[in-house]
Amino acid sequence: MAELGFHWPSLIVYLLNFTLLLVILYLVAYKPILRVLDQRSNNIRESLEQAERAQKEAAERQAQFERQLAEARRGTQAQLEEAQKRITQYEQQQKERADQIVGEELNRARSEIQRERDMAVEELRAQFGDLAITAAERVVRRSLDSTAHREIIDEVLREGGALDRRR
Amino acid sequence: MIVLAGAFVLLIVGFVMGAIGSKLFGGEEAEPFIPRPEVHLPPQAVLAADAEEVEAAHKLPGRFILTNTLLSSWIATAVLLVLFFFGTRGLRADKAPRGIQNFVEGIISAMYSFVEGVAGRENARRFFPLFATIFLFVLFNAWLGLLPVYPSLGFKEHGEIVRHLLRPAGTDLNMPLALAIVSFVFVEFWGVRTLGLGYLGKFFRFGNLLRGQIFQGFIDIFVGILELLSEFIRIVSFTFRLFGNMTAGEILLLVTAFLIPFAFALPFYGLELLVGFIQALIFSGLTLVFVVLAIQPHEGEEGHGGH
Repeated sequence: MAELGFHWPSLIVYLLNFTLLLVILYLVAYKPILRVLDQRSNNIRESLEQAERAQKEAAERQAQFERQLAEARRGTQAQLEEAQKRITQYEQQQKERADQIVGEELNRARSEIQRERDMAVEELRAQFGDLAITAAERVVRRSLDSTAHREIIDEVLREGGALDRRR
Repeated sequence: MIVLAGAFVLLIVGFVMGAIGSKLFGGEEAEPFIPRPEVHLPPQAVLAADAEEVEAAHKLPGRFILTNTLLSSWIATAVLLVLFFFGTRGLRADKAPRGIQNFVEGIISAMYSFVEGVAGRENARRFFPLFATIFLFVLFNAWLGLLPVYPSLGFKEHGEIVRHLLRPAGTDLNMPLALAIVSFVFVEFWGVRTLGLGYLGKFFRFGNLLRGQIFQGFIDIFVGILELLSEFIRIVSFTFRLFGNMTAGEILLLVTAFLIPFAFALPFYGLELLVGFIQALIFSGLTLVFVVLAIQPHEGEEGHGGH
C-alpha cells in the first residue's frame, strides 16, 4: 500500500476536506439554490394555474356575453315583429273603418238619392195626374163617369210611367 | 483550413522533435525535446524539508506533510467554493438568474433531476448533497488537472523538474479512498436510519437456521457474509476505479506529450475531459445507487446482489 501512496495523515486530511466541502456547499449552495428553484417552480405553477383560471373566466364571460347578446337580439326581433303586427293590425283596422265609413256614406247617399228620386217621381206623377186631368177636361170638355175617368187617368199614368222609364 | 494546416505542421514538427523523431533522425545520443517523464505513484512532498525526509525514508512519513495532490485538491475545493459563493450572491426566487448564477443553478438543477430520476422524488432532497459534492469534487479535480500549469510547475534540480507543485488529486490513492469511505459511511448510515436495525438483517441471516432448516440456514449465513464482504469490497473498487482512471489518464498525457509533443496530445486531452466527467458521474452515481439499494426493505429477499 505504501508503494501506491497510501498515507494515513493524507487520508484524514482528505476526509476532513471533503466533509467540510460537503457542509459548506450544503449551506452555501444546495440549500438556498434548491429552495429558490422550488420557489420558482411553485411561482411558475401558480402563475400557470392563474392564467388558466383567468382564461376560463374570460371564456365564461364571453359565453355569457354572447348569450346575453343573442337574448337581446331575440328580444329586439320579437319587439320588431310585434310592432309590425300591430302596424298591420292597425292598418287593417283603419282600412276596415274607412271602408265602413265610406260604405255607410255611400249607402246613405244612395238611399237619399233613391228617396229624392222617389219623391221626385211621386211629385211628378201627382203633377202629371193633375196635368193630365186638366188637359183631359180641357180637351174632352165633357163629363164622364168616374170609372171612365179613372181608366183614362191610369192609362195616362201608365204612359207617363213608360215615359218616365224611357227617360 | 489554416487551423487544420497549422495543426498538421505542429504534428509533423512534434513528430520530428519528440522522443520518436529524435531516436529516428538524431541517433542514439540525441536528447528528445521533452525530458523523459517519471511516473510516481505516491504523491510528492511540496516542501523541501518534507521531500528530504521522504527521500531518506523511501516512503511518506507517518505525519502530515503537504503533498502536491493535497494542494491540488485544496485548489479544486477553493475554486468550487468561489464559484458557488459568487453564483449564489444574487439568489432570489422572483428574479431570473443571470451570468454565473445561471450557470450554477443550471448545474445544480441538472444534477438534481438526475438524483430525482435515480432515487425518486421523496428521497432526492436527502441524497442530493452527497451526490453533488462527490460529483463536483471528482470532476473539478480531474478537469483542473488538465490545465497546463499542473505538469509545468515544479521544483527543478539540474535543469529538470524533480518535484511537481501540483498534481491531480485523483492520482493520489488517498483521495479516492477518502471518498469511498465517505460513500460507505453514508450508505450504511442511511440504511440503518431508514430500516432501523433490520438493515443489519441483510448481513446476519440466522432466521432459517434457528427455525431448524439446517441446509437453508447455512446458505443464508453464507449469503449474508457475501453481502457484508461486498459492502467493504465496494470501498476497494471505488478507490481503485477512480485512482486507476485518473493515474492512467495522467500517464497517458505524459507519454503522448513525450513521444510526439504539441498537437498529437490534443485528442487525448479531449478523451481525458470525457474520462473525468464519466468517472465523476460513476463515483457519485454508484454511491447514489448503493444508497437507494440500502434503503430498500428486504424482508424475505434472498441473494440481494450488491451491484
